[in-house]
Amino acid sequence: MINRRLHIPSFWQKAVGAWNMRTLACLSSLLLVFTFVGCGQDRNPGPPPMSGFPVSRIPVGPIPGPAQKATLPQNPYAGNTVALQKGHRLFVWFNCAGCHGPHGGGGTGPNLRGMEGTSDAKIFEVIAQGRGTGMPAWGMKLPENQIWMLVSYIKSLGTNEEPDPPLAPSKHKVIQTQ
Amino acid sequence: MKRQIIQVVASVCSLGFFAGLAAAQAKPAKPITVPGEMKGVQLVSPVPDGKWALPAGDYANTRYSPLNRINTSNVKKLKVVDIVSDGITRGHEGQPLVVNNTLYMVTPFPNNLLAFDLTKPNFPLKWEYKPGPNGEAFALASRGWVNRGASYADGKIIYATLDDNVIAVNAKTGKQVWRIKVGSLSKGETTTMAPLIVKNVVLVGNSGGNFGVRGKLTALDLSNGDVKWTAYNTGPDKDVRIDSSFHPYYSNAKGKNLGVSSWPADAWKRGGGTVWGWISYDPELNLIYYGTGNAAPLNPDQRSGDNKWTCTIWARNPETGQAKWADQLVPHDAWGYSAINENILVDMDWQGKMRKLLLHPGANGFMFVIDRTDGQILSAKTFEPVNWADGYNLKTGLPEVNPTEVTHMGAYARNVCPSSAGAKGSVPSAFSPQTGLLYIPAHNTCMNYEAIKANYIARTPFLGANTLMFPGPGGYQGELVAWDVKDGKKVWSIKDQNLPVYSGVLATGGGLVFYGTMEGWFRAVDARSGKILWQFKTGSGIVGDPMTFTGPHGKQYIAIYSGVGGRMGMVAQPDISASDPYAALGAAGAMKDLKKVTAPGDQLYIFALP
Repeated sequence: MINRRLHIPSFWQKAVGAWNMRTLACLSSLLLVFTFVGCGQDRNPGPPPMSGFPVSRIPVGPIPGPAQKATLPQNPYAGNTVALQKGHRLFVWFNCAGCHGPHGGGGTGPNLRGMEGTSDAKIFEVIAQGRGTGMPAWGMKLPENQIWMLVSYIKSLGTNEEPDPPLAPSKHKVIQTQ
Repeated sequence: MKRQIIQVVASVCSLGFFAGLAAAQAKPAKPITVPGEMKGVQLVSPVPDGKWALPAGDYANTRYSPLNRINTSNVKKLKVVDIVSDGITRGHEGQPLVVNNTLYMVTPFPNNLLAFDLTKPNFPLKWEYKPGPNGEAFALASRGWVNRGASYADGKIIYATLDDNVIAVNAKTGKQVWRIKVGSLSKGETTTMAPLIVKNVVLVGNSGGNFGVRGKLTALDLSNGDVKWTAYNTGPDKDVRIDSSFHPYYSNAKGKNLGVSSWPADAWKRGGGTVWGWISYDPELNLIYYGTGNAAPLNPDQRSGDNKWTCTIWARNPETGQAKWADQLVPHDAWGYSAINENILVDMDWQGKMRKLLLHPGANGFMFVIDRTDGQILSAKTFEPVNWADGYNLKTGLPEVNPTEVTHMGAYARNVCPSSAGAKGSVPSAFSPQTGLLYIPAHNTCMNYEAIKANYIARTPFLGANTLMFPGPGGYQGELVAWDVKDGKKVWSIKDQNLPVYSGVLATGGGLVFYGTMEGWFRAVDARSGKILWQFKTGSGIVGDPMTFTGPHGKQYIAIYSGVGGRMGMVAQPDISASDPYAALGAAGAMKDLKKVTAPGDQLYIFALP
């Protein structure tokens, strides 16, 4: 005897049987969303969702986006001559003078004289973070206020405010060879 | 079992027999002579003709080549045949090597190794090996990112990188054979010197005295780089490798653990005495000779005592590292007078008797003539203005120090001569057996020296002094000195009014002496009269060492780097201030005109006759 019912493969039978209409609707709408999102990856992604605060406080490079001034941290010791003296002592105490010269003129480390045009915050950042060419990351060891004092001292180099300017040599006796 | 024991014993015995035979064959039976050699002068281990496979060409560090196709009669026709730029405009100290018609060049940091094919026109590049060193080493190079060269043996070019790697590269293919780290940047330790290969041992010294690094010499196995021994320059006898085979000439070197007892507390652990200069070797005596750097910190009041074994010349066995003798040239160094300069080995008639000499033109301004078998100082005369000491007591081996010139913490010592850059830096002299003269690239600078408290913070300078340099008396700041070794005096010199002479020197069998100026002039000088026979203005100041070789068709070439930098030349770099005489460890005071007469460069020049 011939079976005249529509032959449906057994897995479809199980699938349809197991799911009800509501589930089917959910699944369909999800499928639609995924389709849209999946297609969108190729064309127009849009910005990722913003969450939390930007990581960097002190930019080294330019800030992307429309021109804007960064709100840089301010040096609490700007114009403070006592801080210049303290900064000088720190400059010697922490051996900055060893690489950059006792008056910042350079050596294995670069010349620091004449940096009045550089913002205090950027100098702070180099001292705190260090550099891949060997400038140590003092921010791992020193408190913030000491770094700001160093910044003040460095900014004074080559200006009238420099606490201990380098003096030209003077000689007082002549030596005879044998 | 018994048969196996007999077999083992037999093999050991025969090995011992052959080893003894080999050792006996290593010692030359009679002295070597070269054409034109003067009477009463014998070379110890001359440069093999046409080759230059070691930093100084030879083991004895004479930097004398017998090649004479370029000579006093034709050198005026010398011309440039090749200029190579490596793109690294830092100080080019050291010299290339030539082996098997290939020229090898080590660049300043990042210390690439280039090989050029001398068999093809225009000497094209064969290969370049790039070690990719750690960039953090950059800030630790207190003498300007220089490298003083490589050595060749057993098919390998071996050199060191600033970040303390010793690397063996296959001389044919340019592939790395082995690479061993021998120091630590975290201690401020770097490597700049040219390793020397003696038998199957590679010898490397460290740098970083200005960072409180403990000086040492490391010996590695030539085949695989395994460390065989390390000889420190401070600390107990075990570390310094002093045992019963140590026989110093002078009583101030006799005693146990002087490398500890001549320091307060554990100051020896950061005492300096690094090894960044040259090593010589006497194959007959089987001894290596090298000097150690100044003591750390530069403030002498922080380290009472003799501070052994800083500022010392060592004689050691190259295979075991055990010390044979030691001469501490400057006990309780208060001036930064390193003893790392070259030690030139030559046998000479000294006051009627042939003696095995060691010549050391000292940074402290004294020209030392030493018996290299036992360390006896035969003569110590000044070759530039000196006021820190009146002379040396040859019985005690000690300098007669002027108390008024000793520096102290909190005191500003003025006009001390020579400056801590030395009457001569590490750039090497040359000796000619034709003339018996030693050709010394000399400085004449004096200094003011303010010793201050040094704080030890690892990886930062452990300096302890502000120094400022200026020209010494006499109206000149540099000169190429021709020094008569026997008579102990200058016979002629070529003076430079404004700049030190800061290049190495080459002497040749053609009767010539080659050297360069800090402005960039490369000169050929008559070795006897001192007359300048030829000169050529290269693109940058010369702080490298000239060498010579023969090409594949027997033509003689002279090669020299041109690229200013190093201890005195750093001032020419753009990141050093022109307004601060204390910059560059005080060199800026003496070198303020350098930026007007030269700029950084990156070249190798090769010259030949048309």
